[in-house]
Amino acid sequence: MKNLVNEEEISEVAKLMKIDLADHNDHIKRVQKMLEYFDILDNAGVESEEITVQETDLDKLRDDKYNPYDKNLLKFLKSYQGKYVKAPKLN
Amino acid sequence: MDLGISALSYVNSIKNDEFTVEEFISKSLERINQVDEKLHAFLRVNDLVIKNAREIDTKIKSNQNVGKCYGMPISVKDNICIEGSKTTCASKVLENFVAPYTSTVISKLNSEDAIIIGKTNLDEFAMGLSTEFSAYGPSRNPWNTDYVPGGSSGGSGVSVSANECIASLGSDTGGSIRNPASFCSVVGLKPTYGLVSRYGLVSYANSIEQIGPLTKTVEDSAFLLNIISGIDSNDNTTVDNKNQDYLNNIDAGISGKKIGIVTEMTNSEGLSTDVLNATNDAVKTFEKLGANCEQVSLQMIPYTVAAYYTITSTEAGSNLARYDNIRYGYEFDSSGFEFNSYISQARSKLGPEVIRRMILGGFVPSAGHAGKYFLKALKVKSKLIAEINHVFEKFDFLISSTVPIQPFKFGEKIQDPVSLMMVDFNTVTANLTGIPAISVPYKITNGLPIGIQIMANCLEEHSLLQAAYALEKTVDLPKVPV
Repeated sequence: MKNLVNEEEISEVAKLMKIDLADHNDHIKRVQKMLEYFDILDNAGVESEEITVQETDLDKLRDDKYNPYDKNLLKFLKSYQGKYVKAPKLN
Repeated sequence: MDLGISALSYVNSIKNDEFTVEEFISKSLERINQVDEKLHAFLRVNDLVIKNAREIDTKIKSNQNVGKCYGMPISVKDNICIEGSKTTCASKVLENFVAPYTSTVISKLNSEDAIIIGKTNLDEFAMGLSTEFSAYGPSRNPWNTDYVPGGSSGGSGVSVSANECIASLGSDTGGSIRNPASFCSVVGLKPTYGLVSRYGLVSYANSIEQIGPLTKTVEDSAFLLNIISGIDSNDNTTVDNKNQDYLNNIDAGISGKKIGIVTEMTNSEGLSTDVLNATNDAVKTFEKLGANCEQVSLQMIPYTVAAYYTITSTEAGSNLARYDNIRYGYEFDSSGFEFNSYISQARSKLGPEVIRRMILGGFVPSAGHAGKYFLKALKVKSKLIAEINHVFEKFDFLISSTVPIQPFKFGEKIQDPVSLMMVDFNTVTANLTGIPAISVPYKITNGLPIGIQIMANCLEEHSLLQAAYALEKTVDLPKVPV
């Protein structure tokens, strides 16, 4: 018997991601199916495996210095005043 | 004038004065006008190409230095930025986004006098494998327009296959270059992670995606890789390849090389009989060329699709957070809106697959679920890398079909998310491990293409291209029917 992730949990995550679901049911069902497929990871037997990460030596990174950027990126925004971006009100 | 010529032939023809750049570009534009209404490879065609062509013709006539590309028309997937022009990622969210800077790969092509003829279609934000998720409608397979061209770099595959341009640049996160290359019968190369700069590529899953070429021949892929590869101070993940020449000795052959036939990719549930037969046939061809082929098992392969979707969704959930209508996105006034509802409104412009990946990407790494999904996926990835390292101690190459199936009809898989994910079964391993992989056109069965995938160890592109070239030279495929 498979343990399906319940729809409320998925809905809650969608809400936290600031996603309003119009065709709610279809999306949830598809996400549920994908998560159900991900259960296959339980059979991989990797519990004791170490997670390896890519490491880069500090001397391989570019110099930590200020590179002036001469293009006015603010002009690409539709909504700004002076050097401030306009955003909606936080309650 | 044959628009189906390779990049190398094009360069020779221009040098021999057989036609001018302007003549070739004009013919290519005619071709686009003639076929693209049906195929929809392009989202936009560059208005300045004739002007660019004349400038390069002038340089040639006046014996000035001309770049290696001699004005050849190259198309570019619409998730790669070119300053001053639109980059939409086939999303409504970026419908009016004009890139403020140029990606490194485009700067390199421009400095070699390539002409960027237009931006090609993709699945929205490169999430998909058929272009059916493009917000601007799908591209169609030139071999049979009832079938998908593959994706996500579907427009790139179609534009090369249908002779609308000489070559294209795509991006490959889980097979997005190799899959359309296989479905459209062109060559597609996913380079080693870090060999090509991603500066100016709109991020989807940064830890595994790569830019690479889609071309008519293996030599053309080597030619383009020579131009676009190498270290870039704007992308700290790039590696120094010491200006390696990938075209040098490309005809060296593969006699004495050891090739592993990946067992899990030749007995998987979804593998079609025709594709399996083509793979077995390719193995025999390699043996005739003097290679030693034997089965090799990689135990993590059955878990790679789940690991891939878990990791990429997580990265996508983070990368796509910027489409909040404040920094990027569909612009409308913020007054009168509360913060969350304003951002939700902006997100409503994202297409259904992108929305689902964002939800998944919020879910799988979240507290309480990360242990079951995200961390386990990272462990599968680590173990797979160890397995791959071990296998390449013995073998020079690994082989499989590029895709377990041939192109499918529009609508055939879109309702079933799991069968759609399984199309990526053979391609995701190269992305999760960072190794290079190439798809070579091998057969046309029932009027539709089959590509063979060859993989090599990290930074072994030179020998990988030699193997691909050897295989390519044994096949003689029909011309595209469009």
